[in-house]
Formats: sequence, structure tokens, C-alpha cells
Amino acid sequence: MRAREIWEGLEKIVDLCGEREADLLLIAGDLFHRQPLLRELKEVNGLFSQLEKTHVVLCAGNHDYLKKDSYYRRFDWCSHVHMIQDSQLECVDLPEIGTAVYGFSYESKERTDKPYLGKQAKRLRQTEILMVHGGDERHVPVKKEEIAGLGYDYIALGHIHKPQNVVPGKMAYCGALEPVDRNDTGKHGYIWGEITDKSCRIQFVPSAAREYIHTDVQSSRGMSGSELKRQIKQIIEEKGIENIYKIMIKGFRSPDIRFDLKAMDIYGNIIELIDDTKPSYDFEKIKQQNKDNILGKFIGQFEGCSEDSAQYRAMCEGVQALMETRRD
Amino acid sequence: MKILELKIRSFGKLKDRRIRLSEGINLVYGENESGKSTIHMFIKGMFFGLERGRGRAAANDAYSLYEPWENPNFYSGAVRFESGGKVFRIDRNFDRYSKKAELYCEDDGEEMSVDDGDLQILLGQFSEGIYSSTVSVGQLNIQPGQALAAGLRNYATNYFASGGGDLNIEQALLRLKERRKEIDRQIKEGFRVKQEKREQIEQEASYIWREIHRLQTDRDNLKEKIAYRREHKPAKEEPENNRVIDGLRPDKWRIHPLEILSFVAAVVLVFVFIHRPWNYLVAIVLALLCLIYTWNRLKVSKKQEKTEPERILEEIMPEEEKVPLEKLCWELERSEEELGEKLVQYNNLREQLEEMDEMGEEFWEQEKQREAVDIAADKISELSAGLQKQMEQKMNDLLSAMICEFTGGKYTRLLIGEGFKMSLLKDGRRIPVEHLSRGTAEQVYLALRMVSAGVFQEEEFPVMLDDTFAYYDDIRLKYVLGWLGRNKKQVLLFTCQKREEEALKELGIKYRKIEI
Repeated sequence: MRAREIWEGLEKIVDLCGEREADLLLIAGDLFHRQPLLRELKEVNGLFSQLEKTHVVLCAGNHDYLKKDSYYRRFDWCSHVHMIQDSQLECVDLPEIGTAVYGFSYESKERTDKPYLGKQAKRLRQTEILMVHGGDERHVPVKKEEIAGLGYDYIALGHIHKPQNVVPGKMAYCGALEPVDRNDTGKHGYIWGEITDKSCRIQFVPSAAREYIHTDVQSSRGMSGSELKRQIKQIIEEKGIENIYKIMIKGFRSPDIRFDLKAMDIYGNIIELIDDTKPSYDFEKIKQQNKDNILGKFIGQFEGCSEDSAQYRAMCEGVQALMETRRD
Repeated sequence: MKILELKIRSFGKLKDRRIRLSEGINLVYGENESGKSTIHMFIKGMFFGLERGRGRAAANDAYSLYEPWENPNFYSGAVRFESGGKVFRIDRNFDRYSKKAELYCEDDGEEMSVDDGDLQILLGQFSEGIYSSTVSVGQLNIQPGQALAAGLRNYATNYFASGGGDLNIEQALLRLKERRKEIDRQIKEGFRVKQEKREQIEQEASYIWREIHRLQTDRDNLKEKIAYRREHKPAKEEPENNRVIDGLRPDKWRIHPLEILSFVAAVVLVFVFIHRPWNYLVAIVLALLCLIYTWNRLKVSKKQEKTEPERILEEIMPEEEKVPLEKLCWELERSEEELGEKLVQYNNLREQLEEMDEMGEEFWEQEKQREAVDIAADKISELSAGLQKQMEQKMNDLLSAMICEFTGGKYTRLLIGEGFKMSLLKDGRRIPVEHLSRGTAEQVYLALRMVSAGVFQEEEFPVMLDDTFAYYDDIRLKYVLGWLGRNKKQVLLFTCQKREEEALKELGIKYRKIEI
């Protein structure tokens, strides 16, 4: 179902390009998560073929890298779709729109070189755009100082799923069109840009059908499971039930309550629910009250542990075990 | 706790007796068979009940032993005692028909329930077994029973080691173990889900692999077939009995109408131009020849003769093989294409499987929790072991001090070893209790009982000594009585001898004498 939505996301973009008569659609790699099938390429090509006035330039990223027998290598794209096949910087010259796009493709899952290094814009055309897929240590590190000075009008970045402006108005990650991983939080969409003689204006436009949201739910002392459930429901309703959630329950809970996490997923859109609550023991007070016995000594052993350390967890577990098995 | 009064309605040989007890030493004096031990048993029965045994054992158990011979339905009594500054009264009917036990507080008139454990609350951790092993010393029965060893061990691991009465280390550790198991279960579940997913992908991959194999075979077959066809093409298309005239003939005609016309013309011409009578003969022969030819043509067309190798080929090759070459080529192309797709799909799945080998966030989270539980359990065990050692040390110290006092400084050190084996230290030598004289051994046991009682009781329980000093010499007797007088709130001394009384007088310790 999600796959369908992701596909529809691309359809939406192509429709938009058609509607607004965009000159150029840039896809900075990883159009596919894995090696594309021929039929998938045909489908994409079919989609692109609807475009009458828009050129499409795409390259292969680390996920859909140009394997020896990749279909990318021999696929016959329609005339206005330009696939960059070179692993070194290649120029796609588009005289009709007075633009040259420079880019490179991956031939393996990882590459640590920087093919853009020292490649100044050739100024073949009025507008020169660089397309770089990468941005972490194992995938073409992106140093904005090294790229910004090369003289391109705009640098389209790909690979990082989260949209971000690296150099405002000049260099940006559009991010994944649709969030594909549970950690792709925040808005997702595309970048709409306009390059004129003097300036380049870009704007991120959210378009994703859904959003992955990481959120914390505060639990308080004495909160019951059903109250918590209600609160989660409310939060999801506020933030939109179409989104997909990873929820962390924070704060304190009554020591004798363990939340039934399976029951909390009312809308079926919680992919991860973590109970990070701490039993609402007042450790200092317990320690004082039990300073002569093992409980007090036990707490004393963990003095000064930070709250997210294993030691602190050990203290919670131990105190809970000791408290709950008390004789009455 | 202090026992104030015993009211015996009927218990063993005793009937309608009221015995008042006071603080300090109570000397219960009586001759043999006067009922001292009966009183001792009565007190135990009042506090802990007297259960009738079952079956054969019932014949000789305490219940039967003390069942009054006359009027067994008066098998009952009461005891008044003070605990926590309040006076309580227990009424018990041991009689099997009207069995009852009542507890009420005389100060505020509150009725309490023995069955619901109100009495147990007053007694604290004193169970019958611990009572018998500590403060209640029966006749010739000074060596504490198994109950004490077990009780102390239990105590050592629980109460004392935890340093507080209500913590239960063993249970807590058990709880942590359960937690660990639960986390393990979650981890396993995670693995299982992952494994399931993996298997699903593997299954898909293997399905695709089979597909690939099938497509490869198909492709090879097609290739072979096309190659064969290409090779045999010329032979097949070799014109067979094809003459110029066949080319002229219209497609569906077996014989050309012009042929027939020419035959007719030829026959007519022969008939006209050749002189009679030969013309008849020649014309007939010619007509016959023409007929034979025509017949032959018709026959050939009706049934196309097949050559021997062709027939064999037909038998070998299935019907579909006879599709045209172009179709075969097209099929080959298609199968190659599909094969390519499948190979990509297969490799993608393999890639996905490789990526699955990495552990998810959830796993590390659980792993962390498991570690925390382990740390907690280790720490608790460690602390508990330390405290246990401390407790042993403390008990050893107390026992040593006590035995020093009991023996007038002859022995200064008493050690409890593994399994509650006790030994005395004298001049650097370790002497096991079994090697000591009976008297000294009894003093060691008494010391152990007194120290242990201190471990269990929140409120001091009266000490009951039933003819305990038979093996003591006069000096040791004084030491022990002196200690009891100084340290114990209430002591019940059952004796049939005068020496205790004399010793008490000599020591100048006040006592209350009760004669039976």
C-alpha cells in the first residue's frame, strides 16, 4: 500500500511539472531503492513521456547504482529524459532551455571519492547546475565550501532523506519525496526552484502523503493504561491520523503499573512504541528510609549515574524488584 | 512480651489451675510428675495451637498426650499476656468438637481473629518451629532442632541480609530472574519475527531462483531450436517436384485450365492432322496420356507425400515446435527479458537479506534492559552476601561474648561454620561442640538459642527452661542464672530440684516461686 503511495508521489510531481510547464526535473539519485527492474524503468519512462516541455535529468545513486548488468545501462529513455551514465562528472547539455546539468552516477554501493572536486562550471550555457548524490563519509562526502566555489548556479543534492538547505538559495537536499524509513521524520516533498539571470530562488514544498512522526508522550505518576491510551489517541488525532508514529512514553509511572503497549495502537499507525517511563520512586527518599538495609545500600551503589545509563536502569529494576517483593 | 497469667481449665492432668507469672525469673517448682512439662506444653499450645495428628501418628502426639482423661470436652484454657503495652487474652478450646481460638485485647476490648493471623502479627516471625528452637527449651532437648538451622539460614539470606524485616532478597532476585526471562522472551520474539520475515524473503528468492532456472532452460531450448531451424531451413524449403508450370498455376488449382485446354487442343490436332486410321490410335493414346497426367496431378495434390525423415521429425517434435521461426525468436527475446528481470529481482532480494543481518534498534534497547537487570541482580546478590557475612560475624561476636560469660571466661570465642557446625576456640585450637563435655555443649546450645531468639524477635519472648541445668555444675549454673537475671525480662524455670533456688538466693536475684 505504501509502495503505491510512494509511486503516486512521483506521479504527482510529474503532473505538477506538466501543469506548470517546468523546464527541468532533476532527480539526484536513488530513484529506486534497489536495482530497478526493466518493467519499472518502462513504467517510469512512460510517466516521463507525458512531459512535453520538461527535461528530466537523473543519475544513479548508491541504492540503484549502475551494476554491470543494470538496466540503466541499456535502457532506452525517451528523448527528453537524460540519464547520467558516467561515474565521473558528465555534462548534459540542454541548449533548448539554455542549461547544462553536470552530474555523476554510482557504480558501486559506496564511494568515498569526490568526483566534483575542482570541476569548475564550464559556462557552456547560461545556467549551469551541478547534481551530487552523497553527503556522508561512505557516500561522496559533501563539503559545501568545496562545492560552493565551483561557480554553479545551483547544486542539487541527493542521498540524505531529510530535506535541508545547505547553502540558502544555492545548494539543497530536497530529501526523499516520500518518507521511506521510520526515521525519516518531518515534512517531505520536493524543491521548486527558479533560476533567472541574476538569481536562484528555491523553495521546499511538502508533498508527501504521510509523515513519520517521532513523539513523546508524557506519563505522570498515577496514570493508568487507559488514560495513557487516551492521551496517545489525542496526540495522534491532533497530529493527523494519516501519519505514522514512533512514540516514546516518557516520564514516570506508578511503580506497580506496566503499560500494555499492544493495546495502544488504536489507529494502527504506530510502528514503534517504547516505554521509557521510570517507576516514580523517590530514590533519595527510599534511600533515606532504608539506609540501614540492602535497599538503601543498593541505591547508594548507583549514586551519580546519569538517567540514560545502564546503571540507572539497573537501579530502577533492582529497586522495583525489591519493593514489589516486600512482605506486608 | 510478658505472660501474665495461665488459666488451665483442663489440660493433661491439670485442672482448673490459675498460675500468675511476673516479670523476671519465675521458678516453677514441682516434684516429678507434678505437671511442669504439662504447663510448658500448655503455653506452647496456647500460642501455637495443638493440632491433632492424623492416622496412626495421632495415638502418640501431643494432642492425645495431653487430652484430659475425664471430660475431654473441657480440654481448654486461656492465657493473658502483655505485648506492646497492651494486655491480650487468648482463649482456646482444644476439644475436637468445639475447637476454637479467640484473641482479644483486654485494654480496648477489640476482638481479633486468630484464623486471620492477628496472633501471628503479635508473635512476629516466631513460628512454632523457631519458638521450639530458641526460647522454649524442653527437657533433655537443648540442641536446637533442624528448624533453627533452616530458620537461621533463611533469615540470613532474607531478613538479616537485607537489613530490614520486610525486604525479601530471595523473592526480589527471583523477580529479577523473571524480568530477565521476559526480556529474553521479547528478544527471542523479535528474532522470530525477523526470522519469519527472512524466511519469507528467502522463500521468495528461492521461488524466483526456480523461475530463473526454468527461464534459463526455456531460453536454451529456444536457442537450440532456432539454431536447428536455421540449419535445416534450406533443406526444408527445397522445392519438391516444383516445375515451372507449378509456378504458373493458380494457387488453389490442382491443375491449370490452360493445361486441360492444351490437352484437348493437342488431341484434336493429332486427330485432324494425322491420317486415318492412325489418327484414332494416336489420339486415343494421347488422350489417355493426358488423362493419366491429370489423374496423377489430382492424386498428388490430394495427398502430399511425406518423406521418411520428415515423418520421424514429426514424431519427435511436439506440435508447438512447428510454430514459425519468427515466433520462436520473439519468444526467445521475451524469455531473455523476463530472465533479466528475475535476476535483478533475485539480486535485490539477496541484498535485502544481507541488510537484515544488522540488528535493529529495538534489539539493542532490549539488550540494554537485559544488561540492567543483570547488573541489578549481581549488585543485590553481592550486597546480600556482604550483609550475610556481616550477620555471621555479628552472631559470632554475640555468641562469643555469651559463651565467655557462661563459662566464666574459659572460652572466649565461639564460631559458627558451614552448616551451623559450631566450635569453640581455645588457645588457638578449634574444638567442635561434639567433643566438648555435655555440660559445656549444652551451654553452647543455650547461647545459640538465646542469640538466635534475638535475631527473630521484635519483642522479647519469655524464655522457658525445662530442667535444663541438670548437667551444669554449680558455678556454671550461677553464671547462666546471673546472665538470665540480668538480660531477660521474663524467664520460666521449670525444675524439680532446689539448687536453682539456692543459686538464685546466693546471687541475690529476685524470683517468684510457683509450686505445683
